Order: sequence, then structure tokens, then C-alpha cells
Amino acid sequence: MTTTEETPAEGVPAQPGGAEEIDGLGASPMADTAMSKAMGTYPFATDLWAEGLLWGTLVRSPHPHARIVRINTESAFRLPGVQAVVTAADIPGDPLTGEPVADRPVLARDVVRHHGEPVAAVAADHPDTARLAAAAVEVEYELLEPVPDPERSFHAPPLHPDGNQVRHLPLRFGAPDDPAAVGEVVVEGLYRIGRQDPAPVGTEAGLAVPRPDGGVELHLSSTDPHGDRDRAAAFLGLEPERVRLVAAGVPGAVGEREDISLTAALGLLALRTGRPVKMAFSREDALLGHVHRHPAVLRYRHHADRDGRLIKVEGQLVLDGGPYADGSEETLATLVALAAGPYVVPHVRVDGWVMRTTNPPAGRLPGEGALQACFGYEAQMDKLAAKLGLDPVEMRARNVLATGDIMPTSQTVTCPAPVADLLKAVMAEPLPEVAADGGEELLPGGTGGAADLTQVRRGIGFAVGMVPLLGIEGADEVSTATVRVLPVYEDLEGAASGVECVVECAAVDTGSGFATLAAQIVRETLGVVRVRVTGADSDQPAAGPSARGRQVWVSGGAVERAAGMVRKQLLQPMADELGMSVELLSLRDDRVVSYDGRYARPIGELLGGRELWASAQYRPHPTEPLDENGQGDAFAGLAFAAMRAVVDVDVELGSVRVVEVAVAQDVGRALNPRQVRARIEAGVTLGVGAALMEDLRTDAGGRVVNASFGGYRVPTALDAPVVRVAALLEERDVVATFGAKGVGAVPAVVTPAAVAAAVRSATGRAVQRVPVRSADAVERRS
Amino acid sequence: MLPGSLDEAVAALDAVPAAVPVAGGTDLMPAINSGRLRPEALVGLGRVKEMRGWRYLEDGRALLGAGLTLARIGQPDFGALVPALAAAARTAGPPHVRNAATLGGNVVSAAPTADTLPVLVALEAEVTVAGSAGRRDVPVSHLLTGLDPLGPGEVLVCLRVPLLHAPQVYLKAQARTGPSRSAASVAVVLDPARRGVRCAVGGVAPVPLRPLDAEAWVASVIDWDGGRRIAREALAAFGDYVAAACVPEPAGAPRSEALAAERLRRTIAVLARRGLGRALA
Repeated sequence: MTTTEETPAEGVPAQPGGAEEIDGLGASPMADTAMSKAMGTYPFATDLWAEGLLWGTLVRSPHPHARIVRINTESAFRLPGVQAVVTAADIPGDPLTGEPVADRPVLARDVVRHHGEPVAAVAADHPDTARLAAAAVEVEYELLEPVPDPERSFHAPPLHPDGNQVRHLPLRFGAPDDPAAVGEVVVEGLYRIGRQDPAPVGTEAGLAVPRPDGGVELHLSSTDPHGDRDRAAAFLGLEPERVRLVAAGVPGAVGEREDISLTAALGLLALRTGRPVKMAFSREDALLGHVHRHPAVLRYRHHADRDGRLIKVEGQLVLDGGPYADGSEETLATLVALAAGPYVVPHVRVDGWVMRTTNPPAGRLPGEGALQACFGYEAQMDKLAAKLGLDPVEMRARNVLATGDIMPTSQTVTCPAPVADLLKAVMAEPLPEVAADGGEELLPGGTGGAADLTQVRRGIGFAVGMVPLLGIEGADEVSTATVRVLPVYEDLEGAASGVECVVECAAVDTGSGFATLAAQIVRETLGVVRVRVTGADSDQPAAGPSARGRQVWVSGGAVERAAGMVRKQLLQPMADELGMSVELLSLRDDRVVSYDGRYARPIGELLGGRELWASAQYRPHPTEPLDENGQGDAFAGLAFAAMRAVVDVDVELGSVRVVEVAVAQDVGRALNPRQVRARIEAGVTLGVGAALMEDLRTDAGGRVVNASFGGYRVPTALDAPVVRVAALLEERDVVATFGAKGVGAVPAVVTPAAVAAAVRSATGRAVQRVPVRSADAVERRS
Repeated sequence: MLPGSLDEAVAALDAVPAAVPVAGGTDLMPAINSGRLRPEALVGLGRVKEMRGWRYLEDGRALLGAGLTLARIGQPDFGALVPALAAAARTAGPPHVRNAATLGGNVVSAAPTADTLPVLVALEAEVTVAGSAGRRDVPVSHLLTGLDPLGPGEVLVCLRVPLLHAPQVYLKAQARTGPSRSAASVAVVLDPARRGVRCAVGGVAPVPLRPLDAEAWVASVIDWDGGRRIAREALAAFGDYVAAACVPEPAGAPRSEALAAERLRRTIAVLARRGLGRALA
């Protein structure tokens, strides 16, 4: 009676493969939105529309540092079609915003502190009129000296009332001042990391609709609906309940996505005019306005003994935080705590600073802080290996961290840390062949056709690296999810023909695959085939921002708990009836089956027309802030990866192409192997961008010079290397949901270090800066 | 407005002086869409029959319609006739841009990094422009340098390039593997009938540069009768000669600019040396 029957497949999105096993954990169902995104029909925030909407635009500062003497909006306002012009003087609520430190004016009031800082906002009935009006806003500036160099910021006049130093974090571990704590071999290095832009495919866009109760509804491609709502409400002087934020389709997100100046200006303009207002940033707007990766200057001194064992790591690490704090404190903590890398070091003395500058703002990107550190410590490990005459991989193998070791923050590594195994896995991977028939576009210099085969050298570089998972230093990570099981009525007669599960969670799927995973979790727990994950908005309980690998762990944990509670409600009556415990019943293909297969009933029958639901909250174990010596259990989890990059360099022109990146990664558990691979490929590509080309540059006067995709180059398909996954090590992290670790950030962190090492091996040059410039990859000739 | 013939196009531009002609639109439309440009009217040149296609001329040259797309010019048949022009067209951006962008548009937009321009300058191409006052022929370099610019209401109709029946090379240094703007580019064209080498350097100045002295010198050291051989040292010297001619020493400039000039010179020297080397190989 429980033989295979046709499973109700109606309404289930088409799955490649078709077998029902593909839906649970460990399988690789495709994202529901994959087809519509590939075909261009998926609605993104730029597609939003409302009847009678106005178009908003921002007036940005052309100067990196200036005092605002006077703003005259008269002539702009008098243009026909212009409905509102607002400046800092019109802000009803808190003029300062920022997370966790509110130090950023939404619209500049007295001083502008970076090129492109918003000064005013305009709403008009046509985008052209809005642009014209923005140009007609007269702002009189008194120019101030820009401070583009974070190291000069220490002694520069204060750029901000809070001072130029956002944070100083010293770390002392072991006995770094003990005269005996010196290595026989010492290497020093100075490293620089450029300013990577998150460069999402779609720029920031949104629509604000005023509500009859005086509130406002914001439709944004937000990745943090509650955070963005609260910030907008504070700025608008409204209670958070009167601001509703609906997450619109996210056209790519790398870290935190929304630019608060867009959110706030939209809300203010909608309230001012009483009409819906839409704003969509140009690429220039986006490149100037949103937060970037922290440029860094790292000075390192590594000590090792004759056997290649690390004795001491010393470092002075300076981050360019841009003018406002944003996520800089957390970035610095990550940078300092991970400054020695995934290695055991008895003595550490590191000092890190985030300084304010008049450069574009810096904030959270994947692996922020960890990427900068990895480039530095891995370069140092190669230097040590060279000085000791050791193989770079052997040098690393002698020092790698393992579970149970103590990090320089005195935190014991309790999660799986299979660094040695990861290194072995990438080592074992066969090298790519030197293919001469790939066509000129696959040579360095690519489509320019300038490469000369006799001048192309191949280089191989290794790197290992690590990232923290979830928020660090006591950040409150919490998420709530609701799972419902309800009967589905296919005809009007009223007979339930099936069941459906609905997952409600405010976690935004940025393309990271959370929605797909949430459905997989529910299928695994409840055996229901048809699962729908609703859109996120701020009326639901908060789920936190989609960043730092947290949604699978935190929101996934909440979904799992809620689904577990529903499972119990569903099965208890049947278990009672049969006189067996709930554990002896399993749910599969919309049916409940007893352990011996003797009893089986459709879930729809058990529901009896009712709906069952449960809400659950998930909060991972707490972390603590780093103390004045950089000590403390600041991390909830860690993820590791090892990589081998193979590059081809035209050593006369200095053009570099990454041929292949072999990755071995510690994933805890691959919940959806295909998504894991896709995330690794995405991370590697992001890392290749940081390693070879992505750098938002400023001129001597502090102005951004390449705010377009013509000047700011991102990797194309031809620049993306072959990503060879050597191993996904699945050693479950017992504290994480399903034992899974966030997978997106760590490949981005390790790639620049591995690529730089490969360029060093090809050219013999030092390569102390990423992105690698062609001048640094030219072979020196006598 | 979508005129079907050159006369109609010229008449349309004459009637609305503020109208802007548009061919592929790959430069113009982004400017319009982002609000930087708001022309009163557009005159689409896509249907102007005089601008389409190409043919041989009796004087040994080829006449190329201004409306030829870069994708078309990149095809193998052009590769056999004007190899450097075809190579340049193939490197000019991703396929969807090359499918729309036109040769004439490349000349009229005159971007410093435009890929076909160094080749057209090295080939000493001639362009025909038409306006209400009639047609006239202009050397492409005169048009680009502003010596004889496109007048109001004038459109570029076609280009004439010599068919030299000899190797030509276009090389471009760029900062990524995929399509991007050139950091510097070099076109090298051999003219065996006149025992000449012509070279133009793009991407380093507002218009392509011709290192005439370097050309004349290197033409004198090539063994034209003995399989076009050249000494290795002469090849390297040609590269340095071209680079020195195209990138001036920054006078009293800060060290960073001097270093940048040095790097650019090295890049051009490598491109010119490789370019000529391949043409003579």
C-alpha cells in the first residue's frame, strides 16, 4: 500500500533531473528565479513603477573636501516640473546615520568629505528635469585640503568632529616583548591593497510610496530590510512602524548593498511631495556613493626558526576608512585578529588603525579585513620559505592551524580547521597543460592580440586563508522564521488535493541561494514537495543583513527549528493513535510513513483542512569584543580554503591572465553542492578582480578618476579562470546549522594572495601591491 | 528621421541644424540615455544606401561605406584585404558593441582609444564627407586633427583605403584579457611597392601619432629584396625610436609622471617591435 505512486508534481518548479531526491539537503535543485533571471524577465528594483511617480536624483559634491558656504535651491525649484528640492536643512529626524557608529550625514550639512558626497536631492516629473534641476542647485564651496593618504591622516587636522582615528586595535599575544622571542630568520614586507568596488550588476534603485498615515513604504533592493528601515525611520523622524520596507529583486549584492543616501532621500522626497518617487543610480553615482573595500597599508615582520616554524609576527596595519566609520571597526578587528593567518604563532604583536580620509567611503565586502590580511601574511610566508630554502607548501604545512589550537586572540579553534588537508588536496591536483591552441584571447593581453608566446612565462602560487563567519565581537545575530503547512484546494468542491509549505523569513536572497536552501531544509524536515518562500519585508520579524555567510546559519537555523516544530504538531496525533513515538514516523513525498512501512497517510489527510504553523527564533552562541590587547572569543565560526593559482604573464608587457585556480575548501557540509561550486566560482572571480584590475583610483587632488565601467575594470568571462574544485571537505561544524559553513567569502579572500604569489613566481618581481599593475609584472632585464 | 539616401540625409540635417546623425549609436546613445546629450532630433543613417557595403576602386584602393559595422570588417574577407583594419575591428569591444558600431562612427567619435583609427592613419585613408555644399575628400588625419574638420550638417559617407597586398599588424596593450580600452596600440603597415613602412600609435594622445622619422629610418634598413629581412637590433631600435617619438619626456614633472611616461614608452616599444617583427616574419 505504500508502493511508489505518482508524486503530485503540479506546481513544483521544473527541476533538472526530475527525481524527488534532488529536493532535500545535499541535492542541487536550481533556484526558482534562475530561469527568469537568465531570460531577463525577473523584476529588479529598477523595474519598479507606480502611477504618477516622480524621479529623484542626488546632487553630489565635485570636491573631496570642502566647506559648504551656501546652498541656493531657488533656481532649481523654479524649473517647470520640479516638485521638491531638499537639503540637510529639511531633514526632519536624525541628520546622522551609520551602522554601528552614526557619524555620516545623509545629506552633507557643513562639510563634504569625499568626492560624490550627496549634498541635496531633487524630485521632478521627468528624469531629465530632475537632472537639470540637480545641475541648477547652486552650492558655494570653500575648498579644504584633501587627505587622501591614511598614513598622513594621523597628523592631519580633524576631518570629522569624532577625530581622524576611527579605531586603534593593538593585539599582544605570548611574550612579544621578550628579547628571547626572536627568530633566526626574519623577513619584512610592505604591502598595499587597492580599493575594490562591490560593482553589483544592477546599480542601487528604489521606489518610495507615501502612506495615508503619514508614513512611507520603501521598495528597495535591500539586503537588510530591518536595518534599512530603522535607519530611514530615524532620518525621517518617524516611528519604525510607520516605515515599511519591501525587498525588491536584488540585482547582485556583494556585502551590504544599499546606499543609505538613496533610501533616505527617497523617503524624504516622497513625504515632501506626497507622491511616489523613484530613483535609480547611474554607474557613476554608484561608484562614487557606495562603500568600497578598505584600501590598506600593511607592514609586517615575521620571525621563524631554522626549521621554518613561526616564532613571532609583528605588524602595523593601517586601513583607509574613507570619511565615515561604517563597518570599519569590524573590518579592523578581523584584520588584526587574522593578521597572522591560519598558522600557529607563539608571539604576536600587531597594531591596527582605521583612519579617516577624504577618499570614497569604505565598508563591508565579502571577506573584508580577511582579504587584506591574507595578501600580507601569505606574501610573508613565501618570503620566509625563500629565505629558508623551503618549499612554500612545506613552509605552510609546518605551521598550519588545526582544531584545538589557540589563535593570537587566545580563542581556541573549536570548529573544524582542516588546513593541512586542504593544502594536500590542492597539491594533489594535476597542473593544467600549457595549451598553445587556446586562441590568442586566452593568452595574457587577450583580445588585444599583443602577446608573444616566447615572452609568456607561467607561474604557480599557493595560498591559504581564513574568514570569520557571522558578525564578530558580540554582534547580536538573530533571525526568525515561520513555517506553515496548509492544504491546497485545486478544485472548487473543497477536497484537499495536496499540501503546500510556506516559509516566511525576512532574509533576503541576494543570489546567494538562501531561498533555495530554505526550501531544501523544509523538504528535508517535512517531506512536503511543494514549498514556497515568500518575499522579505520589514513587517516580518527581523532576520538581519544578508552578509558574512550568516543567512544559511542563522536564518537557516530558524527555518529548521520552525519546520521541526510543525513536524511535531503534524505527527503527534498520528503517533498517539498508532501508539508509537514521533521518531518512528517519517515524512516523505507529502506522506507520513511509519518506520516499518505498514502505515502511510497523505499529509493533507492529517491536516484535516487545518493549517499548521510555527515560528522559531535562532540565535547562535554569543561572541565577545576584543579587549585592549586584542584578546577575546570574537568569532562564532571560521572557514578556511587553500588555493593554487596558475598564471601566464607576458613579461615584456606585464599583462597577466589567470589560467586556473584550484580550490580546496572547508565547507562544513555542502547543503547544495551546485550552489557551493557556483559560490566558489563567484568568490574566485571577485578575488581575481581584486588581484589584477579592480581599483577605484583618486588623483593627487583626491578626486575619483575612474567612476565608470570603462575606467574601473571588472573581470570579463575571458578573465575568469577555470575554477577547479580540488576538494570540498565536509567536516561538520557542530555548532552551525546542519554543520554548514558560509562558502562565498573565503575564495575571494585567498585568491589575491595566490594570484600574487603566482605572478611573483612567473616574473621574479616582488609584487607588493594588489591589484597587480602591469609595471609590477614586467621582468627586470639587466 | 530615417532617410533612405544620402541626399535625403543631407537635406534632413540642413533642415534641422541641431539634429545629430546617428549610425551604430554605441557612443551616442549612452550619452543620450544618461542625459549628457539631448539632441533636438536624430537622423538615422542606417538606411542610407551610399553608406552601405564596399567595393574595389579602379586605382587599386577599396571603398568602404561608413556604415560598415566593425563586426563586418572583422570578417576573414576583410582580413585578407586590409589585415590590420580587420584585426583592430575584432579587438574593438565585445560582440554586441561590434555588431552595432560602424567604421564611420569610429572616425567621427574620434575617441583617443578608438581601435580602427591608428590603422586608418597608418594606411593614410581618405574619407568622403557630404554636406549641402556638396562632397569633398579629406585625408583621415586632417579630419581627426581638426585641420579640416567635419563641418556643420556634414556626414561621413565612405572611406578609401589602399590595398597594399602585404602584411599588416595591429597590436594593443590592455589591462585585462577581455575587451577593454587600450593602454596603447600600434598599427604597422608595409608598403612593398614603395618600400615603405607606415606606423601609427593610438591611445597615448588625442589622435593617433605617426613616427615619420622612425618609419623612414626603418624602411632604409629592411632588406626589401632579400625576403624583407631586418636585423634583430634594428627591430629593437625601431621600437625605442617609435616610443621616444610618441611619448615626450615630461619636463620638470614629478617623479611619478616620469615613471608613468617611462612605462608607457616601454609598452609602445614592445608593441612596435613585435608589430614590425610580425609584419616582416
